[in-house]
Amino acid sequence: MGPVLTVLRKDLLLAWRNRSGWASAAAFATIAVLTYSFAFDLATGDVRPLLPGVLWTTFLFAGVFAAGQSFQDEVEDGTFDAMLVAPVPATAIFAGKLAANLIALLIIEFAQLLLATILFDVGLFTPELLGIVVIGTVGYVSLTTLLSTMGGHVRGRSVLLPVLVLPLLVPLLIGAVRATGAALGLESGTAPWMLLLGVFTLWSTLASVLLFPVAVER
Amino acid sequence: MENIEYLFAGFAVFWAGLFIYLVLLQARIRNLTREIERLEERLAESEDTPARPAAPSTPPREHTPAERREAAEQGA
Amino acid sequence: MNLSSLVGTVLARADQWRWTVMPPLVGVAMMAMIVGALVAAPREIVQGEVQRLMYIHVPSAVIMYAAFFVTAFSSVMLLWKRDMRWDAIARASATVGVFLCAMVLLSGAIWGKPTWGVYWSWDARLTSTLILFLIYTAYLLARSVAGPLDEQAARYAAVFAIIGVVDIPIIQMSVRWWRTLHPQPTVFTPDPALPNEMLLVLLIGFVAVFALAAWLIMLQSDTERASQRVTALRAEVDHREMA
Repeated sequence: MGPVLTVLRKDLLLAWRNRSGWASAAAFATIAVLTYSFAFDLATGDVRPLLPGVLWTTFLFAGVFAAGQSFQDEVEDGTFDAMLVAPVPATAIFAGKLAANLIALLIIEFAQLLLATILFDVGLFTPELLGIVVIGTVGYVSLTTLLSTMGGHVRGRSVLLPVLVLPLLVPLLIGAVRATGAALGLESGTAPWMLLLGVFTLWSTLASVLLFPVAVER
Repeated sequence: MENIEYLFAGFAVFWAGLFIYLVLLQARIRNLTREIERLEERLAESEDTPARPAAPSTPPREHTPAERREAAEQGA
Repeated sequence: MNLSSLVGTVLARADQWRWTVMPPLVGVAMMAMIVGALVAAPREIVQGEVQRLMYIHVPSAVIMYAAFFVTAFSSVMLLWKRDMRWDAIARASATVGVFLCAMVLLSGAIWGKPTWGVYWSWDARLTSTLILFLIYTAYLLARSVAGPLDEQAARYAAVFAIIGVVDIPIIQMSVRWWRTLHPQPTVFTPDPALPNEMLLVLLIGFVAVFALAAWLIMLQSDTERASQRVTALRAEVDHREMA
């Protein structure tokens, strides 16, 4: 646990130092929610059927953007290569990095939930919904964190990352949107969406933790 | 017989796709073969130099240019 | 003899056949499939002539999955053995898989128009095939941004290919559940026991597409090996001429 906490502290410190990147992610998420409101005219009529989709696409895009950005910072600071040669297990590096990204993204997401609550007058801060958001976020952050380390030196990687991640995340998106819809009392079908979300999150976290050391091994 | 044109279109698409794929592959094989020959000639010219750096993960057995040319011709 | 060297031996043997046994085998099998599909197989009563697309569409779909499994297997071997030959095979079978996937989507769309009235429907199986196409196109993109001998990029791509293949069943399950919200006539009703002639032609179709895919994977991985060799030779030439 020691090395994980050290890496986590280092990553949070790095995130704080490069807070402009994270602030851009937060600003991007806010603007995305506003853009959706104008595009779909969410201000009038019954917005609820669209709200789960709006929230989760915003979360996913902000998450992919932020993961790419945070890894970019790390490559530029040279801390990533330094850490790989340090006597720290790769799994600990990954766990720390995952936790740091998770914390930063959860802060951004809660800000968006607050914004959506105010803008659309829908009670989003229910325990069930917060649970869905946390589980879903763990599920996608583990994959974006793993894949953001793809070829840190390759140009055009910021475009490549969403192309790589988003098709893999289709099950998570379906599960999260439907589960959120069900929590908001929308017609969401009878399939066990929470189970789908949980299984995906468990799988993606396990796969990322196991494959990260293999991927970065030199 | 009412929808035979769709049957024709389906098979045509498959064959056209396969044909395009093979043409592109053939062009790439030819370019690579030519490039390999060119590079090997250049290497042979500077053969006097004793330096022999190991090419990473080159296979133990490589095809000679002649073999490759033959392969490319047969594929045409 | 362990698994990897066994597979290696089999592949090496098959490799020698790429210009002797394979082209006539592929040609004969494909011809047999066409004759069987267009002439020998009985006309299906409900769908009419267009149903004959099945003999190329269904085998392509199944063998596309096989190609993606070969990619995943080669990726595991690459991570384990650190031999760039496995990278060439992984890329080659992903390329052939993406090609077959495109053919399946296109021929499926053409089959769909007269049968269901639309080229595309958000049916579970169609949707998951499209997602699969996107995943392995992304794999090829991710691998091609770095050089043929870039081992780090090859390892990352291999990790992505493994994640992709494990994701397939989850995608299929989720898409099936997703479609339950908008019920519509199922596209692929399980065939109530195809007549024997149809089954036989379908079997020939499987043999033909399998042989074609195996041959294409051989040619494509040859090409990937050649481009690895070009990169190695360029490095060597640079090294010599510097000295």
